[in-house]
Amino acid sequence: MKALLVDDERLARNELRRLLAAFPEMEIVGEASNAKQARGQMETLKPDLLFLDVQMPGETGIEFLESLEPPVPNVIFTTAYDEFAVKAFELNALDYLLKPVDPARLAAAIERLPGYGASPGAKPARPGLLEASDKVFVREGEKCWFVEVGQIRLLESEGNYTRVHFGDAQPQLFRSLNAMEERLDPKFFFRANRRQIINIAWIAGIEPWFSSGLLVQLKGGSKVELSRRQAQEFRERMSL
Amino acid sequence: MDFSADISVQSGDAEQRERAKMRLYVLFQSVGWGLLLTVGVWMAVEGPDQHGVKSMSTTVSYVVTWVASGWLLTHYLRPFINRWKWKQLGWRPLAPRIIASALVAGAAWCAFTFVWIHAVMGEPWPEKVSRSLFVGICWTDYAALISGWVCLYFFYHVFDRLNRSEIERFQLMTSVKEAELRALKSQVNPHFIFNSLNSLRSLIGEDPTRARQAVTQLANLLRYSLQSGQLETVPFEDELGVVNDYLALEQVRHEERLRLRLDIAPDTLHLSIPPMLLQTLVENAVKYGISPRPDGGEICIMARNEGGELRIRVSNPGEIAGGVRASSTGVGLHNAAERLRLIFGERATLRLRSEQPSLVVAEAVIPLGHHS
Repeated sequence: MKALLVDDERLARNELRRLLAAFPEMEIVGEASNAKQARGQMETLKPDLLFLDVQMPGETGIEFLESLEPPVPNVIFTTAYDEFAVKAFELNALDYLLKPVDPARLAAAIERLPGYGASPGAKPARPGLLEASDKVFVREGEKCWFVEVGQIRLLESEGNYTRVHFGDAQPQLFRSLNAMEERLDPKFFFRANRRQIINIAWIAGIEPWFSSGLLVQLKGGSKVELSRRQAQEFRERMSL
Repeated sequence: MDFSADISVQSGDAEQRERAKMRLYVLFQSVGWGLLLTVGVWMAVEGPDQHGVKSMSTTVSYVVTWVASGWLLTHYLRPFINRWKWKQLGWRPLAPRIIASALVAGAAWCAFTFVWIHAVMGEPWPEKVSRSLFVGICWTDYAALISGWVCLYFFYHVFDRLNRSEIERFQLMTSVKEAELRALKSQVNPHFIFNSLNSLRSLIGEDPTRARQAVTQLANLLRYSLQSGQLETVPFEDELGVVNDYLALEQVRHEERLRLRLDIAPDTLHLSIPPMLLQTLVENAVKYGISPRPDGGEICIMARNEGGELRIRVSNPGEIAGGVRASSTGVGLHNAAERLRLIFGERATLRLRSEQPSLVVAEAVIPLGHHS
């Protein structure tokens, strides 16, 4: 598993490196001292895991994560003392480590990582598209989520933002609906109309609607209208 | 943000209070003189005719003239009371002054009404009483009215002064309690403590000698912050020692990002300052001038003993932004400014200002030689 360490303090990065020496499967591919450096390294190093300090000069760890193009890698936050962040993390079961890091706590966090210990699986057949198990990082106010793409029922355009519906939450993603559409697998996601994209796996019922359109009801209660043109495309797709 | 803004906030309050007092004054004046006018007019209309046969409108016009002149007279008495600073006097020196002013103002009022009514308007003098007796009665009457007015005026001010000193006493008590609470809550930022411990853990492997030194420095800082809360003042030298320890620890964390320049005049070292004052300023400088900047910057501490004052300046790169920055810096600096004022009085100040573009300077000025 390839890990990237992001922390503004050299000593803190060294300490983490020393602690991670106990995990032979963990390969530290790089270090960054701020968000800007980390962004550059994300592209070249393609890490599977980020150790990410919350408090950094310039952008905070959370802001950095929000700016990343999905899918985001696994993330373990590190923080010295940050009541706000810790509360947000606990609420949404995001993993975090308090500095100085307790080795037992680090081991637990690493063991919980999805895919840890398994041999690296085959990469997606179609590069660029998000898999159902890929994660997107979303934040609204103090709340943060790592949401699996497969869990998203509905994406709605709101100007340059996209409102993402999953579970009980519907936070805004800092990306346009069109940008999201390019990354979503058309096997699962369907552009219902100008404003909405639905996840086919979450359809609960379909009714005929005015002027040969369709009304799609999603699990969880949202209703989405398909225009005639879209309905026709949808019928073709479904009858495949 | 300017921490004399602290004082200007208070003067903002004072301005508001002045305006409220002005409104109250106008109200009192209007009600009082309005009442007199009503009674006067009513007597002129309904009461026994004292002045022989004349039209009611003439009598009413006399009453109006009389009330209006009284009103104006008392209104212009007020600036004199302020100028002669009578409000600061006690009752004993005040009493003869009130009587004297009432007699003088009464005479002026008398003179004006007589000149107006009898000389200008040509009203005949009353015939039943002698002219001097009539003037005497009027004068006493008017002087009594004026002294009543002045007494009411002073009653209000004595009451207001009592009220205000009570409020000030409460304000002082609250700020003392706040300062105590803050001292109890240990003023070293927990984020700093845990980050330092983390760096220390790393340093133990890398540079054991420096790590041992850092443990001592952290211990010094924690001990000082726990103990100094009980002291009113500490020698500047002691505080400086601890600030040096603190900065050494920050340098372990931030390495080359934190650069330091100290310019301390030796004759400042024995002077007294409130504990944690310099520490608060330096902590703020690191928090806002170094931590958020990827390239860090230089913190400069300067201390001078000049003109009967100890001046401590801490500068860091950055700008004073409003909003977020002001509010989060606010608490620490506000408390420090408050403590400074409580211990050294109003002449002690703490200001935060932008000096050159992208340089923030916090400056504490402490008057020497007296603690209140």
